[in-house]
Amino acid sequence: MAERIRVRGVTIHRPLIYGNNAVVLTPEEKSLLPVAAKDHTHRWTVAVRSAASANDSDIVGGADDLNYFIKRVSFKLHETYQNPTRNVDKPPFEVSETGWGEFEVQIRITFVPESGEKVIVLYHHLKLHPWTLQVAAEEAVNPAPEISAKSGPVHSWQYDEIVFHDPFQSFLNILTAHPPTPLPKNKRKPVPFHISHPASLEASKGGTPEFTMSMEKEEGERLEAAKKQVHAEQEKLKGLLAEKEAELQQLHKQIAEQS
Amino acid sequence: MAGPSASDVRAALSISNAGPSSSTHPTNAAAIIRKPSLRKPEGMPRELYQLIGPSAPTLTAQFAKPQLKQKPNLGSSAATVDGGVPGRVKWEWRTFTNSARKDGLKLGHWVKAGADPNADYQYAKYNVPLNTFVYSAEEYNRFLQDKEWTKEETDYLFELVREYDGRFYVVGDRYDYPGGSTRSLEDLKDRYYSVCRKLVRNKPWGGDEASKAQLLSSYSFDKEREVTRRRYVASLESRTPQQIAEEEALYVELKRLEQTERRFKKDRDELLRTLLGIESGLPDINPSDEDGLNAAGNLSISVNGVGGLSIDTKRRKKNGGDVDTPMSATSASASAIHISQPPKKQQTAKSIAYDLVNCIVRTDVPTNAGSNKSAHTPAYLRSFKLPTPKAAIAPKIAQLMAELQISHTRLVMPTRANSAKLEELLEAASQLIEQKKLLDKADMDIRMAKARLGNGTSESGEGSAGGGEGKATPGAMEVDEDAEGEHDEHADPNGRGQSVVSARSARGRKPARRSMSISSVDTAGAGNKKRKR
Repeated sequence: MAERIRVRGVTIHRPLIYGNNAVVLTPEEKSLLPVAAKDHTHRWTVAVRSAASANDSDIVGGADDLNYFIKRVSFKLHETYQNPTRNVDKPPFEVSETGWGEFEVQIRITFVPESGEKVIVLYHHLKLHPWTLQVAAEEAVNPAPEISAKSGPVHSWQYDEIVFHDPFQSFLNILTAHPPTPLPKNKRKPVPFHISHPASLEASKGGTPEFTMSMEKEEGERLEAAKKQVHAEQEKLKGLLAEKEAELQQLHKQIAEQS
Repeated sequence: MAGPSASDVRAALSISNAGPSSSTHPTNAAAIIRKPSLRKPEGMPRELYQLIGPSAPTLTAQFAKPQLKQKPNLGSSAATVDGGVPGRVKWEWRTFTNSARKDGLKLGHWVKAGADPNADYQYAKYNVPLNTFVYSAEEYNRFLQDKEWTKEETDYLFELVREYDGRFYVVGDRYDYPGGSTRSLEDLKDRYYSVCRKLVRNKPWGGDEASKAQLLSSYSFDKEREVTRRRYVASLESRTPQQIAEEEALYVELKRLEQTERRFKKDRDELLRTLLGIESGLPDINPSDEDGLNAAGNLSISVNGVGGLSIDTKRRKKNGGDVDTPMSATSASASAIHISQPPKKQQTAKSIAYDLVNCIVRTDVPTNAGSNKSAHTPAYLRSFKLPTPKAAIAPKIAQLMAELQISHTRLVMPTRANSAKLEELLEAASQLIEQKKLLDKADMDIRMAKARLGNGTSESGEGSAGGGEGKATPGAMEVDEDAEGEHDEHADPNGRGQSVVSARSARGRKPARRSMSISSVDTAGAGNKKRKR
């Protein structure tokens, strides 16, 4: 039980990604579908993986097995699926299905008992149709399957980090025994598209994307630039405000003189 | 009541009970006989007991005498030791000699009989003779020459000190060297101690250096300082009550000023921190730490914040040459803790690398952490703790973010560094919005002032909603009155009519003000749109 001591002042995190990929079913595959799923158009895989991609891998992320700290991932699919709650107790933590529509997947991550942590819940919007810049329009019009098929598999991945505060010594030992594979420094493959960064659409095309450190850096720069813009605006307003104050003073003086 | 008192009187006067009520006699006798069996409780008045009898036991408790401790039997043991009567101490008158006296004077005192007759006088030990120095003429000539003092006078001084056991007040009082100048107490002390010091220094010393130094220091005397000290004490004691009162008042005033200054400074720092953030140079964030780390190597290490408050949002991420800027701990208390923290122990390059690989961020454990179980922060996803703007200005922030093409609710890479940056951005944005509000207010004020000005000069009094201001200028008031007088001449000039007008004008003011604020809102919107472009 000596191991059940929290190591104070330590915050340790593990990067991971969650999301899905989707491909349009070919006519042959479609014909193999059971009767109940005849109208399905896509095959998709929703997954929770480590952030870094393995070398020579055609999937996004998953360089490390996460089962050293994740005991179970349960995916709650749309209730029209059979057994909508799918529990996955060993890597890869993923569920593959066919379907025709997008929906919100609830992902519950259970940690290993050593962690002493509760389940965390996150949501992922299952993405089947290719990314477009006109978000609103895209919602309304589902592109024809032929067009979708041409643009290749659709990827929708969210990078995130699970943060543990003051972990138990035993759990800390487990975590430090499995340092995560660092993200590659530079872009080698397409950038995973993210709705928060529409400009990355072009860079996301052409193959399996990969998370890199340059993405973080790039976003940091964008935030910095925005901050600079705001600061500039602040300066401008400051000047303007000073002018107005002076004018107001002047007016007050005039009023005082009149009265 | 009457019965007992009558019998009391009889008893007191020794009258037999043969009264008119002889028939009561037997019962009284019976009562007397019965009495011993029912004992009156201790402390209760007899009359009261006879009234209520033994039926009220609770009352008796109130009258019970407090139980005091028995008196200690002093000296009984001593008496028993020498076989005397226990509890009694035997004292004897004895004559004794005090060994501290040289004259062998015999005095008498009472002692316990058992005391040892040959024992030394018990107070003799308190006569500690002063360890005085003696010097030969040769020593005096060699070391102790002083142009102020002759040898004779010095001898006289030493004699006096010896005689009065170094009680300098007595020495100073008795000091009367024939033909010598008048000497103050300080002069005497100074001379005496300086001679002693010189003797200690120059005479052969038997002991070690430490004891010599100690002895020397015990003879140290700073005449100047002593004189000043006495002057101070004298002046302190000779203050008048008025002076004391004034002094106290001044002290209170000073305390009050200090307090206000502290508060001002705190407010100012707070303001600076809010306005300038990291550039304010306030100890909130320690820029030097950051620079040092930056120079030390291109590793990004967060300068760990203190206090659980800001820990969540800080994190380090390996990122080439980027240095993670620690977020400003916005709460003043956190910063205060930060100041008082001793400089962090230097992390070795190795441990940094280790932490980097393992994604560990070390923070100082807040010392004031209370019970730990409940304070534990459960595991969370970084993106869940992204900073959010205040609800009141959230829509405006959202608009501003949209203009900047930043999605502040979701990040592509919600890493520690990036969420820190986002927080900075949001903070700047909310400041911008605050500024915008101020600007709008200034605009409105200007418009109002202009309206008033226009009203005053044109003397039209209408159109611009009566100046719009509650505190109308006297000029405006006159205009009002004139206008009213013209309008209804039949009404009482000073009474009702005026009040009606003023009420009307007040009513008129309100919508005007409202419309004004609406227009300013509109302009605010317009301003935002302008910025969008």
